[in-house]
Amino acid sequence: MIVSLKDVTFSYKGSKRQALKGVSLDVKEGECVAILGPTGAGKSTLACVINGTVPRFIEGKLTGDVVVDGQVPNQVGTAQMASRVGLVFGDPDTQLFGMTVEEDVAFGPANLGFDYEIIMQRIKRAIEDMRLQGLEQRAPHRLSGGQKQATAIAGVYAMLPKIMVLDEPTSMLDPEGKARVFSIIRDLNKSFGMTVILIEQEVDDILELADRVFVMKSGEFVLGGTPKEVFADVDELREVGIRVPGIVEFGNLIGADRTPFSVEEAVSIVKSGAFDVLSDTLASSGPNREVDASNERAQDITPIVEAVDLEFRYPMGVKALDGANLKIYPGEFVAIVGQNGAGKTTLTRHFNGLLRPSAGDVRLFGKSALNEPTWKLCSKVGYVFQNPDEQLFCDTVEEELRFGPMNTGMDKDKMEEAIRDILLDIGLDKYRQVWPRYLTKGERQRLALASVVAMEPEILIVDEPTTGLDWLESLQILDYLERLRREKGKTILIITHDMNIVSLYAKRVVVMANGRVIGEGTPREVFSQPELMEHAYLRRPQIADVSDILWGEVLLTPHEAADRLKRSSRMNREVAGK
Amino acid sequence: MIVEYESKQTPIHKLDPRAKFIWLVATIVISIIWTDPVYLLGLGLVTVIIGCIGQFPWAKMKGTFMFLLIVTVVITLIQGATYVPKVVWLANPERVAFHLIPGWIPMIGPAWPVRIGGLIYGLSMALKVFVVLITISVFGYVTSPSEVVQIIVRLPFVSYKSGFVVSAASKFVPVIQIQLATLRDAERSKGVDFDSGSFTEKVKKTSSMLVPLFANALSMADTMALAMESRAFGYSKNFTMIRPYQMRVSDRLMVIFSVGGLVASIVCLAVFKLGAL
Repeated sequence: MIVSLKDVTFSYKGSKRQALKGVSLDVKEGECVAILGPTGAGKSTLACVINGTVPRFIEGKLTGDVVVDGQVPNQVGTAQMASRVGLVFGDPDTQLFGMTVEEDVAFGPANLGFDYEIIMQRIKRAIEDMRLQGLEQRAPHRLSGGQKQATAIAGVYAMLPKIMVLDEPTSMLDPEGKARVFSIIRDLNKSFGMTVILIEQEVDDILELADRVFVMKSGEFVLGGTPKEVFADVDELREVGIRVPGIVEFGNLIGADRTPFSVEEAVSIVKSGAFDVLSDTLASSGPNREVDASNERAQDITPIVEAVDLEFRYPMGVKALDGANLKIYPGEFVAIVGQNGAGKTTLTRHFNGLLRPSAGDVRLFGKSALNEPTWKLCSKVGYVFQNPDEQLFCDTVEEELRFGPMNTGMDKDKMEEAIRDILLDIGLDKYRQVWPRYLTKGERQRLALASVVAMEPEILIVDEPTTGLDWLESLQILDYLERLRREKGKTILIITHDMNIVSLYAKRVVVMANGRVIGEGTPREVFSQPELMEHAYLRRPQIADVSDILWGEVLLTPHEAADRLKRSSRMNREVAGK
Repeated sequence: MIVEYESKQTPIHKLDPRAKFIWLVATIVISIIWTDPVYLLGLGLVTVIIGCIGQFPWAKMKGTFMFLLIVTVVITLIQGATYVPKVVWLANPERVAFHLIPGWIPMIGPAWPVRIGGLIYGLSMALKVFVVLITISVFGYVTSPSEVVQIIVRLPFVSYKSGFVVSAASKFVPVIQIQLATLRDAERSKGVDFDSGSFTEKVKKTSSMLVPLFANALSMADTMALAMESRAFGYSKNFTMIRPYQMRVSDRLMVIFSVGGLVASIVCLAVFKLGAL
């Protein structure tokens, strides 16, 4: 075994809680092992135990046996372990140290003291294998998200470790970046024979990639085995808070004789009739979210927000908006999608005056808002930033919720009542007097959202609400937004890369590329346009691929697809009966 | 304001960083040992010419120049009123140029005489500051932070770890700037009006950003340190340089020009008192 953990327990210094509770794991050389689990499950701690940063760099009490490539990391030291275990983190910006890509890739081998010629050979190989040719002299901070993460992986790869541990390497990337990184990870394992331990939230991509999958919860493994074994236990996965891949859930709903792991497998199962669609599974299989794809509205309604031929150029000269046009109607739930740099954030920041266009107009409630200052617009248009830690300023949760309303001069009684309701709605009532930094990432994200909701804006813009959150936390945020729309009539705009979220919540999708809106429609309409999706580097949910192949129509959820199959099967049986 | 490095293909940008570093050190040393404002003005002119060849954006230094002008006036007046050195080429440095409190003010004037020698000395001090500042600015504009690190880590008494500490710190500056801008936008989105209110109120509004700013910076620094550790930082004392610099003719000429100028100025000052007041 190249990695062997026996009964490993770890508590961070100063904490009574055990981050790892008797974890045992054996990984064979050349294997690809995926570790899933909600945030706070102990996945990152486990990664740090394997490369020795826990407990040498991050202090705490470690017990149990850890042997990695014949060494005990705790005794050898992290830097010495670096040539055996490469560790890649989620945020590429915190792991790039060179002024150029080439320099960054050289950092590890140079630290190991290799000769200049050997380092140059390794740089060449890493840059070729990670597909970074032509970018050698580029400054890392000027690369796209996917290129940055590829550079970070190349930097670790150049040290030629036997084991590569990747801790949510795609969590901050757009769909194109994710595809690039997963393709690289596949190469690392399948083509270059590296042992890969992949910590991920993206379940769709690991189905075909991983040899074995382990699911962690509260510091211990609750499920483990081959992907077929683990994903067969749909109920347990749901309970842990793991998103069940759409095609797996579809297989489960139709009573497939085997679990489909790819679009082709799902299609083959249906075509060969290897399912029992009339079983009772359909009715009892977890949250069946009704997809309301209707987008009907009266034609004479005035848009609540309107961007007219909007142009914007950043001081460095980059043209981020190039004639963007968009209309948002009252009570809509709109998702703005597109790859990084498409202009999504730049466009929406014009709606509350954070940015001013170089040409064009922004209209709110039918009137131009170009001369309205942000501090006035914010009570009409609420803006929630991507990172909660960049928008929480106060000492307690309660004060955080008062911050905005007090600035906008809201009536004190009304404010206190609103805060009371919001705290209950978002489940943070018990943390009223807690410093926001002590909350979990998901709780901080909910608090950041609530602190804007407390100002009672009619329009809520939420930038990447699910980044870095697990599936359950993501659903909590989105459910709250949907409730605000349905019960309080708010207009919701989200910027997201997650097409599963789009499928479940968006009533309308706006697709952006190169600073323009290049398409829009219901999720079904947008997912039915392969050219549009390709142009914006988007990937529709796998279940949409399955339904498109089988019936020539795009269905958004496994339940819809299972229902469709059930209907067609019944019809076929009735026809056969006659 | 210090102008950030810009990647260009000017003859100065292309010079070996060591040659540029030697020029920087030589110019600073000369500006320290010289006290004659005429010579310092000449030295400043050479730096300006080098800056022009390197396409230095002088317009961006407007604010700094305005600040320097105020500093120059203040230093010159204070020196003129408080100190009178011996000036080699001036017959009577004690001569009063004017009074800080003129004679037409009854009861207290004239008072605080400003003498010619002191004025010249004050001007010399201000010019030193000016020359040092523009030399450092031009150097920073034509030399990438990476090259600076490479210079530092090649120094015999400096470990490569120290070099990377400098490099990491330099990278933090733009990150902190971006964070600050985002925090400011987040506060504006919650109804904070930075344009109105008294100075104290504005300081209060800005100060609420400090806790998240430092907390985020610390968290980021922690992750960076972990990532560096995971890439064998500190594994061996034999860190391999991946930029084996080679001195070309232009680099050698720059070194000769800088070292020659430094030696000549020291000799001329010691033997002929050239450059001294």
